[in-house]
Amino acid sequence: MALEDFRPDMERCSQCSYCKFVPLDQIKSRRFSKGCPSIAYNNFNAYSARGRFAVALSLINKESEYTEKVQDIVFKCCLCGSCDVADKICRYNLEPLQMMHELRTRLVEDGQLLPQHMAIIDNLRKEDNMMMEKKANRGDWAEGLDVKLITKEPAEVLFHAGCRYSYDKALWPTVRNAVTIMKNAGVNIGIMGNDESCCGARAYYMGYHGEFVKFAENAIEMWKAAGVKTVVTSCADGYHAFTRLYPRLGAHFEVLHTVQYIERLINQGKLKLTKTVPIRVTYHDPCHLGRQGEPYIPWEGKEKKIFNQVVVYEPRKPRYNGAWGVYETPRNILKSIPGLELVEMERIKEYAWCCGAGGGVKEAYPDFSNWTATERIEEAKSTGAEAIVSACGWCERNFLDAISTAGDKMQVFDIVDLVKQAMQPARRKG
Amino acid sequence: MKLSREAYQALEDIVGQDNISDDPALLDSYRYPLSHTAIHLGPYYKVYTPRSEAVLLPGSTEEVQTIVKVCNKYKIKFKASSTFWSAMGYPSHDGAIQLDMRRMDRILEIDEKNMFAVIEPYVIGAVLQAEAMKVGLNTHIIGAGSSCSPLASATSFAGAGPAGAYMGGHGENMLGAEWVMPNGEILRTGALGSRCGWFSGEGPGPSVRSIIRGGLGTQGGMGVFTRIALKLFPWPGPATMPTEGRPPAYRAILPKNFKSYTVAFPTWQAYSDASYKIWDAEIGYIAHRQFNMFGRDLKWAMVKILTDPTKTLSDLEDLMKDKEIVKTTETMKRDFQLILAGMTQRDIEWQEKALDEILAETKGWKVEAMLDPEIEEWSLMYMIRLGHKNLNLVYGGGYDGCYGWQGPPDYGIQFMDEGTELKKQWEKKGNIVNAGGDCTMGGIGVLGGGGATVWENFAHFDPYSKESTEGCLEFFNATSAWAVKNGWGTGMEKQNDSARWTDGMATPKEIRDKLLLSSAQPSAFRYQRKIKELFDPNDLGDTYYRTLDEPGK
Repeated sequence: MALEDFRPDMERCSQCSYCKFVPLDQIKSRRFSKGCPSIAYNNFNAYSARGRFAVALSLINKESEYTEKVQDIVFKCCLCGSCDVADKICRYNLEPLQMMHELRTRLVEDGQLLPQHMAIIDNLRKEDNMMMEKKANRGDWAEGLDVKLITKEPAEVLFHAGCRYSYDKALWPTVRNAVTIMKNAGVNIGIMGNDESCCGARAYYMGYHGEFVKFAENAIEMWKAAGVKTVVTSCADGYHAFTRLYPRLGAHFEVLHTVQYIERLINQGKLKLTKTVPIRVTYHDPCHLGRQGEPYIPWEGKEKKIFNQVVVYEPRKPRYNGAWGVYETPRNILKSIPGLELVEMERIKEYAWCCGAGGGVKEAYPDFSNWTATERIEEAKSTGAEAIVSACGWCERNFLDAISTAGDKMQVFDIVDLVKQAMQPARRKG
Repeated sequence: MKLSREAYQALEDIVGQDNISDDPALLDSYRYPLSHTAIHLGPYYKVYTPRSEAVLLPGSTEEVQTIVKVCNKYKIKFKASSTFWSAMGYPSHDGAIQLDMRRMDRILEIDEKNMFAVIEPYVIGAVLQAEAMKVGLNTHIIGAGSSCSPLASATSFAGAGPAGAYMGGHGENMLGAEWVMPNGEILRTGALGSRCGWFSGEGPGPSVRSIIRGGLGTQGGMGVFTRIALKLFPWPGPATMPTEGRPPAYRAILPKNFKSYTVAFPTWQAYSDASYKIWDAEIGYIAHRQFNMFGRDLKWAMVKILTDPTKTLSDLEDLMKDKEIVKTTETMKRDFQLILAGMTQRDIEWQEKALDEILAETKGWKVEAMLDPEIEEWSLMYMIRLGHKNLNLVYGGGYDGCYGWQGPPDYGIQFMDEGTELKKQWEKKGNIVNAGGDCTMGGIGVLGGGGATVWENFAHFDPYSKESTEGCLEFFNATSAWAVKNGWGTGMEKQNDSARWTDGMATPKEIRDKLLLSSAQPSAFRYQRKIKELFDPNDLGDTYYRTLDEPGK
């Protein structure tokens, strides 16, 4: 859809400010009542969904022009979707998150580019990753794992590591553990090694729609050629790309996040968590696995009115409001680890506070990104947890950075790492 | 009048570079569409409130005071707003500046023993309620919902809401206030003004209730209120709202001393009688005709949609074809929602008995379909937190209340059927939602102890459609004409005509004077003129603080 297609939303937004908070029914304290990091950090209305509707309308009506401030308004947002959830409590017909994606795309098309993003996109074009690294090193994370290269021999399941896990050495244990756990459970799994490319999602979030399409089409083609049926990833951004964005381009693969595959293995009795892990943890829902991790439902249609002026869509339009994200699976796994105590933060599931790494914010606005992560760490600390656990490399990296900056003691884990700890060492055959 | 660079710099020096902006696009996020809602004026298609010269985010009373002093020095009009509900929060003159109070969002104190809280402007109702519940207290949530600022409604509007009979409106609940007056001086009212604390708004110390409140509060037209104390009320529930369910169908799983009923009556007279009896028996924590805002014909189908996270408005047509839905809807034609909260088990048992007796005497009934446990839990959540209030807008994106009969219960019911028929005629024309004519909603007791009800008939329209918006305006013109013919004066739908005009700007003096002169008590506005001359000598507020010159001036 084009930005102009959201004009009805812009004009129908009632400026109620629900988008600034977690859903009002879920407010448990003043301290953790806010939902949108962007308005919480920047304060001006323009940095909320309602404000961005107004700014977009002002731009398309040519009542204002691009300025540095407009760039700041449009790009200083994690695109976490908190506003979208809060908004749809009452306004079933508004799509602020989709509109904000289109607004970014428009700015990029019009040459309103952030230098920090440009450098990353340049590298993406040359080296197929968002980490300013060399493509030739992409598969280093899997060295010594003895896992199939899917380009050389077939496998039922493709494990996609993603840019962050492929290049962030501190996070390598997570993906190595994921592959090992699945392999040991008898899964016929393969990776793409150096041939793996960026999923394109983060380029899309930055407004580079064309780059996203290029990388997505390339991945879909390669997976088809390799006979891939199931794609598993530990990266929430990748999960979002493969479940919500790729199907728009005709992809039809089974896509699972690692936690979903692990839960499947536990339920099938192929994975047993028997070793005690005595730790008190809290779980952070990644935006792209949680509220934005709802299944994709194809829709193409148009607005129609019933009862004179009730706005509906023909055919029935899917509503994405975080109701059906992946929330229980990670919690079920954590609860099944002996000795582990799971305590919840105030803002969870569809109204979780973002880690601050998304939407190109970590790259362009590190202070804002760090502040957002620090807010989450503070919330985690308020539960008495020793560790914050997540299921996304981007979240984990941002938490690690925030903790390091603050000199904090909170530990950060991926669920997979705790699962690995809870497994008895595999017995050697013979 | 353009803001001079010198004035801008003076303002920037107060709040710092990060807390002021004159970027045109950013300023446009502080404009309100008059083609919209809750403006009680219009709606006017594609008309916006004027762009201000700058937006400022003050962080303290001292900053607010200094800003106001600079405004006096340079003769700059200013408008402060907290949560920006409706057009009244925005400037109505060119050359004005906007103060966005969101950085002042602290709860400074909750005095558990004396049952009050001291709050800043950007504390919203939901936040105050959540914090109060931790110590067994609750706050009144205004009809506009818990996203709104209690300080704003207490100082600058009526502050009425569904819990009014038990908790009073915020106009009644305000204790001390800290007021940066339009001339830049600070006045601390009531006991606070005598350095005796926040406990009383009326003294010892200056009582200015009649000065700052008038009928509907200052509506942002007389200085800036930077903190107030607000009465709190008992909360016999858990310390944290036990919210369950998938969005948007959240539910509150409360203990058995809470009950949610939708009670319905065979006649409007019975409805009215029951309201009196409920007040007399002093039962009920919240009493409000709420879900009828979706329309007499559509409300039960809408409740079915709102309580099911898989449903959307697209289900409405099919639901309305279901005979059971239609049958249930018929049982709740004249209904309102009643939440009982027992302070003890004996108390809730007594309240239940009293309600049963009242229903027996008035031949009323509890709507059975609303007793479904999940619907009751949803209803408790909705009514206590009022966090779904903007469902007002769910149909087409626009609504506004018309008629606005305020008075004892017998008053509004006299006009209910005729008003419904009038609205039905306009629904037939197609520009407003066809919901059964009666989308009337409002409090069963908007004053502490009861004493008054409000009936506001919602007209739902699409602000994106010229035909719908202008058709709704025509309907409002017709309702006003009908109201004038009946001798009530213009209704709620034209309430703000005397403050903001059809171009989004302040109402021209000639028209304003004419409208205010035709009101029931024009001398009140002459009194306010004298107040304004003293408190706002440079005329930096706007016309939401209504004034009228002495005759002959």
